[in-house]
Amino acid sequence: MKAIIAATIIGVIMMFASILSNNKSGIVSLATVLFFFLFGINIWEVYESINATGVAAPAYLNNMMSLDSFAIWFSMLMSGCALLYILLLGKEIAKVGKHVGEYFALIAFIMVGIYLLAGYSNMLMLFIGIEILSIPQYILAGSDKRNLKSTEASLKYFLMGSFSTGILLMGIAMLYGATGSFDIINFRMLQTDALNPLALSGILFLIIGLGFKVSAAPMHMWTPDVYDGSPTPFTAFMSTIVKAGVFVAFLRLFHASFGNLTNHWMMIVAVITATTLFIGNITAVFQQSVKRMLAYSSIAQAGFMLFAILSVNATAWQGIVIYAVAYSVATIGMFAVLIKLKDYTYDGFNGLAKKEPALAFFTTIFLMSLAGIPLTGGFMAKYFVLLAAVQQGQVMWLVIFALIMAAVSVYYYFKVIIAMYFKTGEAELNHEVTGYDKLMLGITCLLVILIGLMPQLLLNL
Amino acid sequence: MNEISLNHYLFVSCALFFIGVYGFLTRRNLITMLMAIELILNSININFIVFNKFLFPDKLDGLFFTIFIITIAAAEAAVAIAIIINLYRNYKTIDVEETNTMKF
Amino acid sequence: MNTLMLAVEQSTPINYLPVVLQLLVAIGFVIFMVGVTHLLGPKRKTADKLINFESGIPQVGNARQPMAIKYFLVAILFVLFDVEVIFFYPYAINFKELGTEGFMAVLMFVAFFLCGFIYIIKKGALEWEE
Repeated sequence: MKAIIAATIIGVIMMFASILSNNKSGIVSLATVLFFFLFGINIWEVYESINATGVAAPAYLNNMMSLDSFAIWFSMLMSGCALLYILLLGKEIAKVGKHVGEYFALIAFIMVGIYLLAGYSNMLMLFIGIEILSIPQYILAGSDKRNLKSTEASLKYFLMGSFSTGILLMGIAMLYGATGSFDIINFRMLQTDALNPLALSGILFLIIGLGFKVSAAPMHMWTPDVYDGSPTPFTAFMSTIVKAGVFVAFLRLFHASFGNLTNHWMMIVAVITATTLFIGNITAVFQQSVKRMLAYSSIAQAGFMLFAILSVNATAWQGIVIYAVAYSVATIGMFAVLIKLKDYTYDGFNGLAKKEPALAFFTTIFLMSLAGIPLTGGFMAKYFVLLAAVQQGQVMWLVIFALIMAAVSVYYYFKVIIAMYFKTGEAELNHEVTGYDKLMLGITCLLVILIGLMPQLLLNL
Repeated sequence: MNEISLNHYLFVSCALFFIGVYGFLTRRNLITMLMAIELILNSININFIVFNKFLFPDKLDGLFFTIFIITIAAAEAAVAIAIIINLYRNYKTIDVEETNTMKF
Repeated sequence: MNTLMLAVEQSTPINYLPVVLQLLVAIGFVIFMVGVTHLLGPKRKTADKLINFESGIPQVGNARQPMAIKYFLVAILFVLFDVEVIFFYPYAINFKELGTEGFMAVLMFVAFFLCGFIYIIKKGALEWEE
């Protein structure tokens, strides 16, 4: 709860900072300090929750939030990722437009949404969390006001986002009609054998609504355009931390409320997972632009994260945490490299290894993590979510399919590595890579490898 | 027969919802699409209030949910108008068919 | 679904009779007054009488002009602030029951409101002339 309040106040402070000062780098430093502070508050909350073992999870806001140890732990990790994001890309955010303070304020508000989604226990909080998360994103997507692509991205995001909100709300309304409650615990009372058709269609609507938000496959069509068109620093944020936050909401709802109804929704989610994996990976192969490829790859990674929702067991919770962090760290790193380049196509990477060996090396590590090569975070993440699905045991065909698709993904990730190391060319950079950039990218790289070697560090639940 | 029952209300809400979905999918003018989205949200409001009144009249959960939906819909509309104005400045149109700089 | 129709209040067409009467009286009065003025009043038609009345100032141009974008900004801000007031209604009804805690919550709400308002003013969103 402290983190929610702190993030809100940070958002307001950043809003006013932009009025009081025009100094861009000053605002960036202020934001960095404030996000350090936010991370500190999160750690404080984790510390408190560890000391308070045995006590029931504290409930806030008339039992609408129950911040259990998972929620607090996940919030802490996401704050850490956001801090890393600001450290890596803070300067780039300042270059998007003139309203720098507002961008950070919107990011802080999005963090509030993520905290709400991590620990909600009432559908009202789910709805508010998703909206607090989405509305700033519409603005961030269109923040490059003179750019046609950015405008179009924000338009498409808004249309698809608000439409999916409508569908999500319809699902909540139907569940309310069936159970008379918004408390996710009360949905457990739904009978397994003679399920109310109202509740059943409610669950279906919720799958579709949340599927829109996490860009699962039949509902993914907005993703490539939005991620491609948005300013690159904000794409990095939207495709990583935000997506992970929505996934945790998805997971909590379907495990805590509908965990005993798996035979009703398992098959639907399994088909969605298969389609997501297929469309994400196969379409990514044909992309010319690395940024657009990363957008499709984010769809593909969402397919893997859907495994955690499919397999209703404890490993799935561990899997989603590791996946969220490993994927976020690697993708943020990848975008931090991408933004340095002038040309976002594969050819833009040609000969990068000769010009900037360190940058090329870091990129290789990030891409290997995204592809799921052993010793990187991405491998452990994929291992855990697939292990959860194997333990659950009903969707073995899907696990095998996912392994094939992971092999396909190696192709398009390694195309970038091949371009960097084996193709001759002059990779053009926007500006010089400073020592600070290299240091931060190095730390990110170390994190990726650390997650790969010791994933249990992230499971200190 | 003379009573207005739950089913009547649900029929209205369902009709509104699908009119909204139809409008959203067929219309190409942004303002109309925004109106369609508002229609969807309002049909859901009717749903909430009717369920609250007919099925669970002892608590006011559903009613309060609608208040939150209304306010958030207003916030969304504000952002939408900002986006539409920005779009108009850049493209000189508010037809979504025209906004196709990004095609695969 | 059969149990769902309990809480409906008894309402038959006869209950609406007063409304119908009121409606009839209102319509009748309007028709009567319009008719009487039409019959009794003098009829003088001049060019000045037929043009639109604009507070005595000679009329200028067409009314259907595109508005400045600033107007939309003010309109949208008005809608936002207007709708947020909806949260005061439940508080006003339960004012006594909620006590100090509720008052503090509303105070906090208003404080955030005020933050937004100050932000808007400082950003110059409400300045008409530029």
